[in-house]
Parts: sequence; structure tokens; C-alpha cells
Amino acid sequence: MIGGFLKIEKLEKSFGGNKVINGFSLDVTERTLQCLVGPNGAGKTTIIDLISGRQKPDSGHVWLSGDDITGMGEHEIARRGIGRKFQIPAVLKGLTVRENLEVAYSREVNAVRNMFSFRPKGCHETLREVAGQVRLTERMDMEAGLLSHGETQWLEIGMVLMQNPNILLLDEPVAGMTENEIELTVAILNKLKRTHTIILVEHDMNFVRKIADIVTVLHMGSLLAQGSIGEIEQDERVRAVYLGTEDAH
Amino acid sequence: MERNPYHNKTLQWLAYIAVFAFLGLVPLMTDDDFLLNQLATYGVYGLLAVSISLCWGSGGILNLGQGIAFGLGAYGMAMTMQMQSQTEGTIPPFMMNNGLDTLPAIWEPFWSTGTGIFLALLIPTLFYLVFGGLMFAARVSGPFFAIMTLAILSALATIFVDLQPYTNGVNGISPPMPLTIGEVTVDPYSSTAYWLVFVLLLVCTFGAKLLTQSRFGLVVRALKDDPERVRFLGYNVAIYETCVYAISGLMAAVAGCCFAILTQYVSPAQFEVSFSISVVIWAAIGGRASLLWAMLGAFSVQGAQSYAGDQFLSTWILILGFSFILVVRFLPGGFAGLVEMVLDRLTRSTGGREPGLEISGAKGAAE
Repeated sequence: MIGGFLKIEKLEKSFGGNKVINGFSLDVTERTLQCLVGPNGAGKTTIIDLISGRQKPDSGHVWLSGDDITGMGEHEIARRGIGRKFQIPAVLKGLTVRENLEVAYSREVNAVRNMFSFRPKGCHETLREVAGQVRLTERMDMEAGLLSHGETQWLEIGMVLMQNPNILLLDEPVAGMTENEIELTVAILNKLKRTHTIILVEHDMNFVRKIADIVTVLHMGSLLAQGSIGEIEQDERVRAVYLGTEDAH
Repeated sequence: MERNPYHNKTLQWLAYIAVFAFLGLVPLMTDDDFLLNQLATYGVYGLLAVSISLCWGSGGILNLGQGIAFGLGAYGMAMTMQMQSQTEGTIPPFMMNNGLDTLPAIWEPFWSTGTGIFLALLIPTLFYLVFGGLMFAARVSGPFFAIMTLAILSALATIFVDLQPYTNGVNGISPPMPLTIGEVTVDPYSSTAYWLVFVLLLVCTFGAKLLTQSRFGLVVRALKDDPERVRFLGYNVAIYETCVYAISGLMAAVAGCCFAILTQYVSPAQFEVSFSISVVIWAAIGGRASLLWAMLGAFSVQGAQSYAGDQFLSTWILILGFSFILVVRFLPGGFAGLVEMVLDRLTRSTGGREPGLEISGAKGAAE
């Protein structure tokens, strides 16, 4: 099996008696971009948390290339090639843009070996390439805390690119971006999905239309419907719980 | 590329070299042995401040109990020195006064100078590894971790007082002879002692500086900002925190050993909470984010205490506390932050017009 093949099986998760994820299963095909959509509170971010190890499921499994990764630590899951971008962009504000990207280049994670490592192989080239991709070449020596919102989003996308995982979990990567910035992000993602598997949480259906191979609709913690964007937009149940309410605006 | 010279790595190294070159000239400028001893003691304090700067300034791990490693190191060294002056079959006089007639087993390894010094460094480091490992694996951090270090420190002080027959309680251990390594006697009032402290301070400070510039140091600075984010990049944050904490502990143990050599005395005062807190104050006043400035902070505060403290007596502690409040309120980066700010202003007003605009433009965008 090549790359990251991800299988999610009957996940359940409750918070204080509230069932947030209710028997959710999903097969993720390699090198596709799968969008998780659904109304507020459907459990989209929780699914990302459960896959990446930030939360542990009450029951159910997450399989990666045939290995059960359920309940592993965040860093172990990350080392197996699952990278993540947070809903509220999480960059390291006190570090410069360059340092943010360098620390994300996590080919070597061993603490002792890293004490004697100053310029890891390939870091500089990857850094230059990624900085160009996310348009931050001019900002390299600036503290990340001083970036604009759109730039902060790109920096975190850049960090995921530096990390170069097989599977990318992106939680609302274009939130707060201008139209131009969204267009550029679409271009980056459409290129990236040829080589990587991407799961993306998004509200904005216009954005989903431009990038999604498969759309998965989540409702009350369960899978409601799945298919191409065309199929999803025709689905009566989906219209009722999600698209319908959006059309009403 | 870097505009502010404060952030220029080459200039930083030059500053470190310049300061140490100056410190290396001191024994050539004076042969006042009392002064050399005093300056060497400042070197020990400087080393403590560097160790705090490494874990608190870089890694954000506030450690109010650095006296743990310092005290354990000092006791280890004092025990080694004590046993050097004992002849075969005798026990230290204080033990006889406390009703012992044979040497306790924990003292046995200190017959050998090499083993004794090794243990003086190993035991505190191991302690930090185990204690830090337990705490960081459970994700204890910030003020909770600081309180735990304080608790352990106080407990150790009590234990060392209580174990009177083994430690001579509050009176402490005062080895009658200076440390001898091979043919060399390290007379505390001599340039030998000064050079010893100088070399150790230099090795530790440059080593720590290199460490902060390595990939390890980068991850440590990153986890200070957001440990959660760093975990999702694949780094085991607890291991990084434990390592930086233990390395800082090893440096404090080295400082403790030097302290015992310089004073030929060790007592539970080394475990005093107020002492460990003043180490944090030195680093804060100098600038915890910079190893060099933290060290200079220790020099200046302790120097001021020696000279001004004599005049102000007990008011000194109030002056120290007040300056700490001033620094926290107006200079959160300490002297280092002040220098960084001044250099920033200078580079922007002279010639660096374009970058200045760019930065202010970005700040506007961020707001």
C-alpha cells in the first residue's frame, strides 16, 4: 500500500453526556481531496481531533495503512504522516516566519540527535520553495505574531507543507481570507491533492465546489451523505439539514 | 537580512567572546586573592542565571527550585572534599559528635575524588530527569510546575536539616582542606579557583548558546510558544522539556560544586527558597531570553548587593524587590530587552528607512 490510506470505523465520542460523534465511519481514498461539510455543531472539528489524536474516541477505530492508530499520542500520529492545520491558525507567534517553517520541517524528531543538528539536509531548499508557494518570501525575518490574518493562515499551510505528511487535515483553511487569497489557496490545494490525501473541513460551499473530489456531509455526528459535489447538492436530505438553511439567507 | 544587530548571530557570538575575553583578563589585572574569590563566586551565580535562562528564557519552564541541583551538587562536592582530608578508617568529626562510629554507606563512594565529583553531578541530573519526566509527561506546566519545584526544594532543605548525623544538620559541612585534583590544589583564594570557575562558566555558557541555536533549541523555543502545535508536528514535547530541564539542572549542579570549592562550606542555606528565587530575579533583571544578559544580571545584582548592600543592610532586599517590580512592569525583557529596543530604534533611524516602513506597515495590517 502506498501513501496514506485512512479508514475510520464507527467512532463514538461524548462530551459530558452529549453524543457529539455517533457511529461515524469513513473510507478515505488516497490522493483525493475530501471535504467534510455540515452545519455548526455537526462534529467536523471533533472528527479531525479524533483522527489527529487530540481527542480519544469512546469507541471505534482509526486505521492508517492497516495500523490501528486509535488512542496514540499526537506526536506519534504526526510521525506516521498525518499533519494538521487548526481552525484558529496556530502559528508560533514569538518565532520568525523562517523559524516557524524550520521547526515544521520535522524529519528528525529525536531530541538528542537534534542537539547536534543545525542545518538539516534539504531544509533550506524546501523552505525556499514553500515560502514562495505561500507568498511569504518577503516576510521571512518577521515575527509570526505580526503577520496579517491571511498571511497567518498561509504560514500555517506552509508549516503543513514543510512537514510534508501523507495526509493533511485542514480545518477551515480559508476562513477570513480575501477573494484573492482564497484563489491562491485553491491553486495550492489543487496541486497538492495530486500527491497527497487531504481532508478539509469547510463551511463555504463555493470554496468546496472549486476543490472537492468527494464531499462528506456530517449531521449530528453521523455521516448523512457522501458523493461528488453535484450529487450532494441534489440530495434532498442534505438540502433539508444544511444547504436548505444556507439558501434561505 | 536581519536588520536589528541584536538578532545577528555573528554579532551575538562576538558579544559572548568579548565578555568572556574581559572576564579572562581579570586575573591578570589584579592579584588581590580576596577579590578573585569574590569574583569567582559571582561566576557561580552567573552560571546559575545561565541555567535558569536556558530552561525559563528559552523553554518557558519557570523553575523556582534551581537550588535543588545547586544544593545537591554543593553537598556532593563538600562530601568529596571532606573525605579527601580523612585518613583511612576515620570518620568526619561531626559524625562522632552525632553518635556515629562508622562511616554511613552513602558516604563510602566519596572516598574517591573522581567518583565523588561524578556523583555530585549525576545525582542532581538524574533527579531532574526523573522528576521532570514525571511532571512533563503528565503535562504539568507553568505555575503548577513552578510550585512543584518550590515544594521539592523546601522538602530537601528539611531533609538535610533532619539527617543531622549524615549531613551535620543546619551547621552544614565545612571541609578543613581545599579540593585537590591530582597534583593541583584548588585554593579558593587564588587565581586557580578563578580560572576553574571561568572555564566552567565559559564551557556551559557557550554550550548552552550552541544548544539554543540547534534544532533542539528551536523546538524548545517553539514549545514555549505553543506546546500543542509542536506536538502535531511530531515532536514529543515532554522529552524536549525534560531534556532542557535536566541540562539546566546539570549546569546548576556544576555551579553547586564550584560554590563548595570556593567557600569550603555547604549548609541547608543552599536549599533556601529565597536563594532560588533570587536566581530567577537575576535572570529577569538581566533578560531571561538571553543567556549572556542573564549572567550579566547576576553579576550586576550580586555586585550591587556586595557594595550597596553593606550600606543599606536589610533595606537591600526591599530595593531588590522594588527593582524586580520595576523590571516586570517597564522592562519585561530586562536589560536585554532594553538593549534590543535601543538597537532597533537606532537601526531604524539610521539608513534602514525602507525596512522600517515595511515593519510598521505589517504592524498596521496585523491590527
